[in-house]
Amino acid sequence: MKHWWKFLAVALLLTASIAGLRVPLAPDLVHVSPDRIAPGEVTVTVTGYNTDFTAGERVFLENDSQRVCATSVRVIDGTHLTASFNVPAGMRKNLTDVVVSGLRYDGALFTEALGEGIASGNCVEGHLANSGFVFPNRPILYESIRNLHFHVPMWFAMITLMAISVVFSIMTLATNSLRYDGSAVNAVYVGLVFCSLGLITGALWARATWGAFWTNDVKLNGAAVTALIYLAYLVLRGSVPDAHKRARLAAIYNIFAFVLLVLFLFVVPRLNAVDSLHPGNGGNSPFSDLDLDKRLRMVFYPAVLGWILLGVWMFNLRDRAARLAEQLDR
Amino acid sequence: MRTLLLLSLLIMSSAAHAQGAAPGWLENTLYGSGKLNAVLIVVGVIICGIGLWMWRMDRRLKRMEDRMKK
Amino acid sequence: MRTAEILNVLRLEIALDLRQRAAWGGMLLYVVSAVYVCHLAVKSGLGTATWNALFWIILLFAAFNALSRSFQREDAGRQLYLHTLVDPRNLVLARTLYNAVTMVVLSLLSLLFYSLFLGSDVLAKADLAQFLLAVVLGGVGFAAVLTLISAIAARAGNGIGLMAILGFPIVLPMLLALLRASKLALDGVAWSVTSTYFGGLVLLDVITVTLAWLLFPYLWRD
Repeated sequence: MKHWWKFLAVALLLTASIAGLRVPLAPDLVHVSPDRIAPGEVTVTVTGYNTDFTAGERVFLENDSQRVCATSVRVIDGTHLTASFNVPAGMRKNLTDVVVSGLRYDGALFTEALGEGIASGNCVEGHLANSGFVFPNRPILYESIRNLHFHVPMWFAMITLMAISVVFSIMTLATNSLRYDGSAVNAVYVGLVFCSLGLITGALWARATWGAFWTNDVKLNGAAVTALIYLAYLVLRGSVPDAHKRARLAAIYNIFAFVLLVLFLFVVPRLNAVDSLHPGNGGNSPFSDLDLDKRLRMVFYPAVLGWILLGVWMFNLRDRAARLAEQLDR
Repeated sequence: MRTLLLLSLLIMSSAAHAQGAAPGWLENTLYGSGKLNAVLIVVGVIICGIGLWMWRMDRRLKRMEDRMKK
Repeated sequence: MRTAEILNVLRLEIALDLRQRAAWGGMLLYVVSAVYVCHLAVKSGLGTATWNALFWIILLFAAFNALSRSFQREDAGRQLYLHTLVDPRNLVLARTLYNAVTMVVLSLLSLLFYSLFLGSDVLAKADLAQFLLAVVLGGVGFAAVLTLISAIAARAGNGIGLMAILGFPIVLPMLLALLRASKLALDGVAWSVTSTYFGGLVLLDVITVTLAWLLFPYLWRD
């Protein structure tokens, strides 16, 4: 069974894509109204996301770790509840958090009548019913965190294909023949497909989260440099008419550029650890410091492997087609 | 060469859009329903991209078949 | 690797450059004109970041201009001569070394003109030793990358345009690291912070030279 890896590719992509789209996000609070409170009787409406509120929810306010417990809680439906409080005067800070059964909405309420602090109520923490296998729910990202399983594997597939191309380039130089030159350029062509997909999907995801299609970011610079290098590689090939010379020059440029590119992609970002919007760079929390990150990984790694295998398969098809065309030419 | 043109166009257009585009249909689709639509658009782009590649591969094979017949 | 052979090639390069002094004059004039154009365009009052960026942009283009000659000027006779007499690895090392020295001298001269025309207020609070180190490492790095690229472009028989296309994306990472390091140096940041950047730059230079040394023989044979 020599085609096993193709089946593996399809199986991995299928599982990763279904899980990537279907696994729900962790429950969280998305809206609290009103947005300011004054001392006295106050009723607050809380809207949840993917929550399944039941009658037993515990609600309290927290201001500088001093708590006000809810006098009554009424659940409207799975994602809405109202809670009443008897708000004392004299809270220490302007912003008060709302906590519903372990879910916290930071600084939900602007608080008036500040003072020296209040007596902290002894409120019950409570916790939501266990919601099973979920992805982390993060501000700014929200549902788009799923793109981790679709956008990022494009880059993994691309760099794998470029690495394959470099292997063929090294073989071209080592054997001094044209045999492997075609494979090197075919791998680059398929790699560029993934590069364009990575750029387009990245731009769209960036627009949805950071508000701009293109930002000045280490990872984005890396993507742009990669695209420029391989376009230059193709230009170089196009400008040398002699096949043997073309194979040699292209192979040398490919190896040279790839090594420097890898240095740039994996070493310089660690050096310039200041201004990146990507996780794990410049003070941004990496996905891994989320307590649920194991669940993201369980989908992410299969997705990466699946896309790499699909890329290799695409390269394989293109290479075989090119070889057939060569034989036809003869 | 076509890839080249496409890529450079892409980079330039995204750079041009980087500053303050007015919210329109794109924003509405991207931000709607907890940004889930951003995921759907991304998945759609990937599927269309792979589909386009398959289409070109198909054409390439077709040309070879035609030459075989001759 | 034989030091004697490298020295011989170096001597040849120097002799050639002394014979055609116009080449050096051209490079210098290029830098001076670029600096003067910047002076006309911005007059004065540049912030540290812009001052730094403009300086490196001038250096980058000066490097492309200066190093494109490295292999272009070879006529068939001399190529045959070098081809038969010199081990290609020694040749590329000698050329890189010579280009590095050229670039360092050119960079320092550019810095001189640049601070004359565009003001040296920025340098007042800078850690000058660090900034000069960045300039030297940058010159060596540009030389290391562009020597091999210029050889490839010359072999492809498609002059300076191809060299810019091939060289720019490869130099860009180095340029970004240099911009960052020299900006920190201009801000007068301590060695303990900047040493990682300089370490990274040295590493980048060493790797580039090693790659050129490994790959050049394949380029040279015909």
